Amino acid sequence: MTPTPILFDCDPGHDDAIALVMAHRSPAVELLGVTTTCGNAEIEKTTANALRILEYIGAGSVPVAAGCHRPLARPLVLGTADGPSGLEGSPYLPQATIRPVKQHAVDFLAEKLLSRAEPTVVVATGPLCNIGLLLLKHPHVLPKIKQLIWMGGVFYRKSEIITPTEFNAFCDPEALRIVLDSGVPITMVGLDVTMQVLVEEPQYAELARIDTPLGKLVNDWLLFYEKLHRNSMGVGGAMHDPLALALVIDPTLVRTRPAHIGVDLGGSYTFGATVADFWGERGLKDNALIANEVDSDRFFKLMFDLLRD
Amino acid sequence: MERIILDVDSAGDDILAVLFAAASPHVKLEAVTTVTGAAGSIEQVTNVVLNTLSLAGRDDIPVHAGAWRPIVGHAKADMEAPVHFEKRLTARFGDRLKKFNPPAPAPTRKATPGHAVDFIIDTVMSNPGEITLVTTGPLTNAAMALLQEPRLAGALKRLLVLGGTFQTPGNMTPVTEYNIWADPEASRIVLNAEVDKILVPLDICEDNRVATSMMTRDDIADMQAVAKNNPVVDMIADVFPIYVDIWREFFGLVGFPLDDVITVALAFDPGLATLTEPLFVDVLIDGHVARGQTVAYRGFQILPGGGPKTTRIGTDLDGRRFLKIFKDTLARYERTI
Repeated sequence: MTPTPILFDCDPGHDDAIALVMAHRSPAVELLGVTTTCGNAEIEKTTANALRILEYIGAGSVPVAAGCHRPLARPLVLGTADGPSGLEGSPYLPQATIRPVKQHAVDFLAEKLLSRAEPTVVVATGPLCNIGLLLLKHPHVLPKIKQLIWMGGVFYRKSEIITPTEFNAFCDPEALRIVLDSGVPITMVGLDVTMQVLVEEPQYAELARIDTPLGKLVNDWLLFYEKLHRNSMGVGGAMHDPLALALVIDPTLVRTRPAHIGVDLGGSYTFGATVADFWGERGLKDNALIANEVDSDRFFKLMFDLLRD
Repeated sequence: MERIILDVDSAGDDILAVLFAAASPHVKLEAVTTVTGAAGSIEQVTNVVLNTLSLAGRDDIPVHAGAWRPIVGHAKADMEAPVHFEKRLTARFGDRLKKFNPPAPAPTRKATPGHAVDFIIDTVMSNPGEITLVTTGPLTNAAMALLQEPRLAGALKRLLVLGGTFQTPGNMTPVTEYNIWADPEASRIVLNAEVDKILVPLDICEDNRVATSMMTRDDIADMQAVAKNNPVVDMIADVFPIYVDIWREFFGLVGFPLDDVITVALAFDPGLATLTEPLFVDVLIDGHVARGQTVAYRGFQILPGGGPKTTRIGTDLDGRRFLKIFKDTLARYERTI
C-alpha cells in the first residue's frame, strides 16, 4: 500500500499529540510536514509541544513550521482542556533539541503544496488561522489541496454532552468562513462524531496493556486531558483530533453527508456556530462533507494498534 | 527623505499618490504594494500601478501584488456596489467616462516576484524603525503582515492610513468610509495595533471645509502652464477632468479630493494637518449600516473600554499649502529615465 502523504496543521494539545503519534507510526500515512497554530495554547507552546512530541517519537526529521499567533480577526481565546503548557501531565517529556523551520506556516504549506505534482491531503486539528491565511495569501494553492480533513464544527447535537459551538470554529470563525467560501473540499469531523469516541474504562484497560514508555506517556496525557470533560460532563476524554487523522488511514470509520455549511460571525452566544443547510433551502451549492456517524470500536482498535509496538 | 512603502488599490487618486510619491524629493519609495479594492481585481490594481510607474519613468520601483480578497468582506452585491455606481456615472457622462477607471492595458513589465505581505515584513524587519507604511486602500495587506509577523508593529516607524470618517458623512454608508468598510476586520487589526499611526479620515479630504485641498480644472491648467515635456502632467490633463466633474456633480465637492496624495504628503510633512493627541481607534464589526465605522475613544465615558492610544487623527488640513506641494512636485517633475 502506498502511504497517503499529508500536511498536518495542529495546536498540540493532548489529542493533537496522540494524532501526531498515530500519523508518524501509521504505515498508511506519510507525514510531509507539521504546521502549528495558536488554539489549545499560545503559538510558542503549541510549536514547542509539536517539536517535543516529534523528537520523542523519533520523527525529528519531519519539518515543523510555526504559524499564526492569533486568530485572523479576534483576540485569542485559549482552549482549556490541555492546561497552561498545552500538554500538561507529562513533565518528564524533554524540551526538543530540534527547531522549527524559518518559514511561516502559511508559506511552508504553500511551498509544500505547490512543489508536489499531485494534490495533497491536509489534516487540520486546530482553529483554521493558518489555513485561512494560506488561502488569503496564496489562493493559487487551492487546486493543490486534495482534501482538507478538519476537526471542527458541530451540527446535530443529539446529546447534552455536545456544546452548541465547537472550540476550533469558535476560536477563529473568520478563518473558517474563508475556508468554506474557498471551495476547498473539506470534510468536517465535528463534535457529533468526536464526542462518541470517548476514553473510558475499557479504553484505559486497553492502554494499560501497552507496557511501553509511549503507552505510559499517552496514559498520562489522557489522565490530564479528561479532567475538563469528566468534571463538567462526567465523560472521558474525546479523541477529537485522532479521529480526524484516522480518516486518512480509514475513511470508512465515519459516514458523511454533503451540505452547504455557513459559520456565524455575529451573534452574542452563537458566533462560531456552524450551520448546515441540509435541504438546499438557500439554493447554495454543497461546500462540505459532514461526518455524522462513527464506528467507535473500529476507531479505538486502529488507535491502539498504532500505539502498540 | 522618508522611506515609504505605499500600499494602494489604484482608484483615481491612488494613481496620483503613486506619481506624487515617485516624484517627491522627500520620499524614498521602497515599493508600491497592491490590494484588491475600489478599482477591481488585484490584477487590474497591479497593472494600473505598473503602468503609472512606467509613465513616470520609474520602472526601478518594485511593485508587489497583495491580497485578492478581504478577510470577511460583505455580501457580494454590496462589494460590487462601486461597479453599479459606475453605471450611473456612464448614464450621466456617456463616452467621457471611458477615462474613469478604464481596464488597464497590458503593462510593459511584470509585478516583482514575492507577495506584498512578504515584502512589507522583510523590508520593515530588516530596517527597524526606518520604514513608514502608507495605506491608501483597504487594510488587508497591512493586517495580514501584522498577523504573520507579530514583531512588525514594533519595527515600523509609522503607519499612515487613509480611512474612516468622524464628522463628515461616509461614502459607503452614512457612517462608513470605503477603505475601512471594505475590510473591517483587517482595519480593526491595523488600527488596534501598537504602532504610531496617523489616520487620515474623510473629514480632512472629502469635505468642502478643506476645499482648498481639492484639484480643480484650474489647478490642472496651472500644472500644464509650468510643465515642460512632462508626460505625467499630460496624463493628468487628459484623464482627470472627468474625475473633477464627477466629484463636483455626484459628491457636491468643489473639486477632485486628493485623499491618497494627502496621506502620502503627511508621511513626510505631518505639519500639514492638525492632529489629535494619540487615541485608541476601533472599528465596528457587527451591524449593517455601521459595519466598518471608525470609533475614536475621546472624552469621558462611563463604560470602560479602549486599547492602545497610538493613533493621531487628522482634524484639519492646510489645504492651500498641500495643494501647492502637490502641483509643484508633479509639474516640475522630470523623468530621469
